[in-house]
Amino acid sequence: MRIRTRLQLVISLLLVTGSLVSAQQQLGPEQPSTPRNQVELKNKAPVSKDILKVKLPRATEATLSNGLTVLIIEDHRLPLISIQYSIGASGPIFEPANMVGLARITAQMMTEGTKTRSSLKISEEVERLGAALSVSSSYGSTVSLLTASGLSDNFDKWFDLANDVLLNPTFPASELDRRKQQLSVALRQQRTSAEFLMSERFSRAVYGDHPASNVTTNQGTVDALTPAILAKWHDDRYAPQNTILGIAGDVKPTELVPKLERLLAGWKRTDLKEALPPNPKPSTVRKIYLVDRPDSVQTSIVMGNIAIDRRDPDYFIMVALNQVLGGGGAGRLFKNLREEKGYTYGAYSSFSARKFPGPWNASAEVRTEVTDGALTEFIKELQRMRDQLVSEQELDDAKRAIVASFALSLENPDDLVNYALTRKIYDLPEDYWDAYPAKLMAVTAADIQRVARKYIDPQTMQVIAVGDGSKIRSVLEKYGSVERYDIQGKKLTN
Amino acid sequence: MDVIMKISKIVLSSLLLLIWIQPGIAQSIVFKQFTLKNGLRVILSEDHAAPTYSVAVTYNVGSRDERDGQTGFAHLFEHMMFQGSENVGKGEHMIIVENNGGEANGNTTNDRTAYFETLPSNQIDLGLYIEADRMRSLAINQANLDNQRKTVQEERRERYDNQPYGKTFEAVIDLAYDNFAYKHSTIGSMKDLDKASVKDAADFFRTYYAPNNAVLTMVGDFKTDEVLAKIQKYFEDIPKQTPPPVPNMTEPKQSAERRKTIEDPLADADEVDIVYKIPAGNTPDWYALSVAGLILSQGTSSRFYQELVKDKRIVQGVSADAEERRGPSLFWINATLNPDKDPKEVEKLIYADLERLKKEPVSDIELEKVRMLVRRSGVEQLESTQGRASNLGESTVFYNDPNLVNTWPEKYLAVTKAKIQEVAKKYFVVSNRTVVTTVPKAAPEPAARGGK
Repeated sequence: MRIRTRLQLVISLLLVTGSLVSAQQQLGPEQPSTPRNQVELKNKAPVSKDILKVKLPRATEATLSNGLTVLIIEDHRLPLISIQYSIGASGPIFEPANMVGLARITAQMMTEGTKTRSSLKISEEVERLGAALSVSSSYGSTVSLLTASGLSDNFDKWFDLANDVLLNPTFPASELDRRKQQLSVALRQQRTSAEFLMSERFSRAVYGDHPASNVTTNQGTVDALTPAILAKWHDDRYAPQNTILGIAGDVKPTELVPKLERLLAGWKRTDLKEALPPNPKPSTVRKIYLVDRPDSVQTSIVMGNIAIDRRDPDYFIMVALNQVLGGGGAGRLFKNLREEKGYTYGAYSSFSARKFPGPWNASAEVRTEVTDGALTEFIKELQRMRDQLVSEQELDDAKRAIVASFALSLENPDDLVNYALTRKIYDLPEDYWDAYPAKLMAVTAADIQRVARKYIDPQTMQVIAVGDGSKIRSVLEKYGSVERYDIQGKKLTN
Repeated sequence: MDVIMKISKIVLSSLLLLIWIQPGIAQSIVFKQFTLKNGLRVILSEDHAAPTYSVAVTYNVGSRDERDGQTGFAHLFEHMMFQGSENVGKGEHMIIVENNGGEANGNTTNDRTAYFETLPSNQIDLGLYIEADRMRSLAINQANLDNQRKTVQEERRERYDNQPYGKTFEAVIDLAYDNFAYKHSTIGSMKDLDKASVKDAADFFRTYYAPNNAVLTMVGDFKTDEVLAKIQKYFEDIPKQTPPPVPNMTEPKQSAERRKTIEDPLADADEVDIVYKIPAGNTPDWYALSVAGLILSQGTSSRFYQELVKDKRIVQGVSADAEERRGPSLFWINATLNPDKDPKEVEKLIYADLERLKKEPVSDIELEKVRMLVRRSGVEQLESTQGRASNLGESTVFYNDPNLVNTWPEKYLAVTKAKIQEVAKKYFVVSNRTVVTTVPKAAPEPAARGGK
């Protein structure tokens, strides 16, 4: 038994779990020359046909006099508490175009010094309290997040520390200087990762000029940053009226809310409102991007295009569609590219739906020699979502998988508070999660086909391949015009 | 039915009571143990906090049981366990669990192979049935083996061969260990994976996947009596087998420092890996070394972070950790350098820190940080049913002590300042050390590359 802090060599079968096969494929004739490698359902294992009815507990909600929204899930099973400030209007989406990385670096620097605590004092205090504290802001996000957690019997102490970091950061010059040096190294280092190169090129391809196209800062911004620039971003952008505080665990809301009024009284309301840039538009012509990484032994492939935002009425249909296509080990992509073809360790799909439309995507890492075969199979599966209705069985299983998995979220109060946060952030109806299972169960095969035809189009999607260009360039050219980049992100012309 | 019933007594030291007690909250994992007629050990822990349960089947087999020429076999076999059995189709295992709102997975380490399902509590039969069916009647055939061999080879490429520093781990264990058991990696070599035959797989299944070589643990929302009856129904008639051979884990004492430099075409910066051979997990020396590792590198106020990352700015990141193995373990220090820094200089600074551990007792504050981390980890392990099922299974297979899930915090808290100095002196010595430096492979001239 140990404290799990380090890299332990555990090799997992899967990163996520996973789908189903159409009846056609199961019944297909067995060919004597090639081994039968179809997924097969015997349906003999005992299954309860009832879906366990789960009612997600509603969060206690309060608004402080400075406009801060508070959501609390009270749960006394364990003496633990976790908190999360979701600070709207402060994420990378709102950065000036010449300051990409400002929001994220500001967030990361908040734990490096406050008016009364040095960087070392903050980390030492956190660790002596057995707590955890971090501030982050992800590329493509509208928010910055301050998260903290710890034991309930010293909650007052670590919560006080978290609030100090939130409200009084000083961005000391010496600490910023160190961070800039770390960032300069990280800017180089990340280019060794095929995964980074794939996500960089994909975001550029689908989002175009939209700020969500950024996945990294750059040397110019790093060089230009000063403590004053970070402090100004913090002062201007961290405002209580745009912030939601989610708290889960061993707390009493009736005692906590008055306490919050006292603790956060100094955080004053401002006039800042969240103003989103114009929405990204879907691409209309298929384009292939090759990132040439000469020593690759695999090709990392991702494809997709802009689809829906979180409030779109098609959201539920997209959830079911994704589950059928590639939501996990039961998805068509996994079944085809891994279980039947053996091209990859895993093939999945997912989609991003936030305050602005985001892309659907399908991806896999395949060995170099089967790049062509893998692309053919991806296109085939995407086209099949458009051309054929999913079978009743496949649809039922996909919906059941999603609805039944709600029970598992009851193990963790953090998951429950996240449901409440999602509802609030996207301004969804009060009974959103109560109505969710019924709305999902109402999705039909025709709905899925309609949404697939609207968004999942192999003719207009953007395709990214990171791999050994000398081996895969001519393969990719079969699928459309190829734009090439080196690992530094520089466009190649020869 | 031959049920041995043993209710585990929860023992907490007075020190623990002092800091742990919280009225009204159960802070320990209460479980009951049984052994079926066929030798399958069963450990059940009721927890009705959420309408869910997790089952884990932990088999006493890992890559340490592999012989030269068959590396990667334990893990390849784990993949075979999802390829169908008498009443469950190929690939159906994952699908049926997911379609009922659950999660399933398997993983393999040096020391064990484990399978998990977490499901809503109205699907108790499902999880037990599919685990029993594959323990009884796994479908081992050429098509499944060939297909999973390819999948595992892709896993190797994705996680090792296509990653910067992906081959360093294998270089370190190969140089540090003499005994083949831990000298090779769990993922195995492409060559050996290619050689694995259906007969190898069938032999492996018969030898290691017997009920008397496994532990079934279950945690969650069920009634122990009812669930025990179901487990007997599904598992008890699976025949027991001759117990598998116990691997020889003896590691000869190392007599001199071992060093190696490897080139990595995918890396951009130098990396230094320094390992010392240390005793097996769950021994007093191991706990003291684990605490030493936490003091050196856990959190941003740790010694290594403050000195090497922040003050000297010589490394991008650094970690120090006592690996937990059933046999001889490694104390593993890993540092990724900043550009233009000298690996020799990094080594020198690290060795100076290790010398300091020998000479000076660690501070009260440092021990307090470790105690709080232990305390919090002790509470957090109660959060998920899968974590508890997994820990119960591993403690039983590794140390024949399921109650270790309750007693490990005490063992950490028993580590004294003097004990840390003692183990530092005993193990952090030059002759017990292996050092591997990974350097980026110099890129050919751009013109030469362009012609490829």
